[in-house]
Amino acid sequence: MVEEAGRIVVSGLTKRFGRVIAVDDLSFAAEPGSVTGFLGPNGAGKTTTLRMLVGLVVPDAGGATIGGHQYTTSAAPGREAGVVLEAAGFHPGRSGRNHLRVYCTACGYPLSRADQVLERTGLTEAGRRRVRGYSLGMRQRLALATALLGDPAVLILDEPANGLDPEGIAWLRNLLQDYARRGRTVLFSSHALPEVEQLAERVVIIGRGKLVRAGPLAELTAGQGGLERVFLSLTATPGDSPRPGGERS
Amino acid sequence: MTRLIAAEFRKLLTIRLWLWILLASAAWTILYTALLILLNNRTGELAPALSTTAGQHALFAIAAGGAGPLVAVLAVAQVAGEYRHRTAATTFLATPHRRLVVAAEVITFLLAGVGYALACIVINLVVALPWLAGKGIHVSVFGNGNAGVLAAVVISVAVFGMIGAGLGAALHNQLATVTAMLLYLYVLEPLISHIASLHSWTPYLPGVAADGLTQAIQSGVRLLSPWAGGLMFAAWAVAFAIAGAAVTARTDIT
Repeated sequence: MVEEAGRIVVSGLTKRFGRVIAVDDLSFAAEPGSVTGFLGPNGAGKTTTLRMLVGLVVPDAGGATIGGHQYTTSAAPGREAGVVLEAAGFHPGRSGRNHLRVYCTACGYPLSRADQVLERTGLTEAGRRRVRGYSLGMRQRLALATALLGDPAVLILDEPANGLDPEGIAWLRNLLQDYARRGRTVLFSSHALPEVEQLAERVVIIGRGKLVRAGPLAELTAGQGGLERVFLSLTATPGDSPRPGGERS
Repeated sequence: MTRLIAAEFRKLLTIRLWLWILLASAAWTILYTALLILLNNRTGELAPALSTTAGQHALFAIAAGGAGPLVAVLAVAQVAGEYRHRTAATTFLATPHRRLVVAAEVITFLLAGVGYALACIVINLVVALPWLAGKGIHVSVFGNGNAGVLAAVVISVAVFGMIGAGLGAALHNQLATVTAMLLYLYVLEPLISHIASLHSWTPYLPGVAADGLTQAIQSGVRLLSPWAGGLMFAAWAVAFAIAGAAVTARTDIT
């Protein structure tokens, strides 16, 4: 049997919202020790897939496991996986530090963990201020700090670079690559290709909820003239203009 | 479970709304205590005289019991606020067993309700006892069944907290839930509970059952006995909590 610790396995995942099939029989895996980029056009089903991975959205068919079992059945889910879903999810009237301390309490971590992750994400000073005054980049860092609370084996991030300035993106790259180097699994979604090229070693590309291609980034782009060309040719739909539906995928 | 309740209390105490609700509860208590004393013997049929046992019961029940709906608002603000501020995802990532989260929320606001009720009772007594003594009316806190009414007030406010948590978990929309709840409690229910032809079932409505529990007597309203009212009111709270848990468990957090 394959070593399951920290491995993300998605198999036959399917989700419909009304008549729209958001995710359609999707299967892929993300391996420990690597950064996997999860790519697709807006509305391809990336966010829905990540939310199904951690039990926030219930799939209509198929399933996903992290480290060999479902996230929702884990005894210590926060140690299993840290999740960054969006740069929202904070009460504007609560300080960043108190936000983190709430989840320390809920998960049974010592409160000092909050200060440790604030330091790790460069928010030590801002931590005592209310989130109301945070910039988008600071919120993104706080979301990441929340994910790091349990020092998890797996990091799952939805568009983590949104709102970060170039310095922030470089910082994020170091953090994610350092995480993977320590034998852990990083899976992040993005539609910004340069960011993926900088961050990921492996990619999973989806379009319209279906798997389009998965594999090492270097293999995929070899002789193809860069990720952008590969991505556009793989995800193009005949006669299709940019699809409507806003930012959420 | 203890961890989850502690986390809910941490949520409650790290934003300032709890303080505003406490001040509003205190203001309500002072206002109604003063009104009932000032209008004593002038209220005609509105309320019994404060020299009587019934009058004293009404004073405690109405003045201190006013915190109930406010604690319910506080509970809705926190529980439904998880959806408004999109913290629900983080909460359910930390605790994927969502029914346990709802149970913790309900217990948290039950306990918070006890705290608010005790604070309002202290304020009520501090204002009323010296004032009434000055008028020659000596009220014994533990005599005349007054202690029983005060205990009922504590239970009532605590159950209001449970109801707010259950409703917030069931409906998820903070503003709509607060608005609907207050319109129901302060407009719809007072209207229908005064209609004599409906008196066969109006005592069982949540707010009227709560008035039965504390015997917050108003003329023209039929109330249950304290025990029956208390059980009925608690049954409503359990029903809302179960509904909240069921809805929360099956909601996709998108």
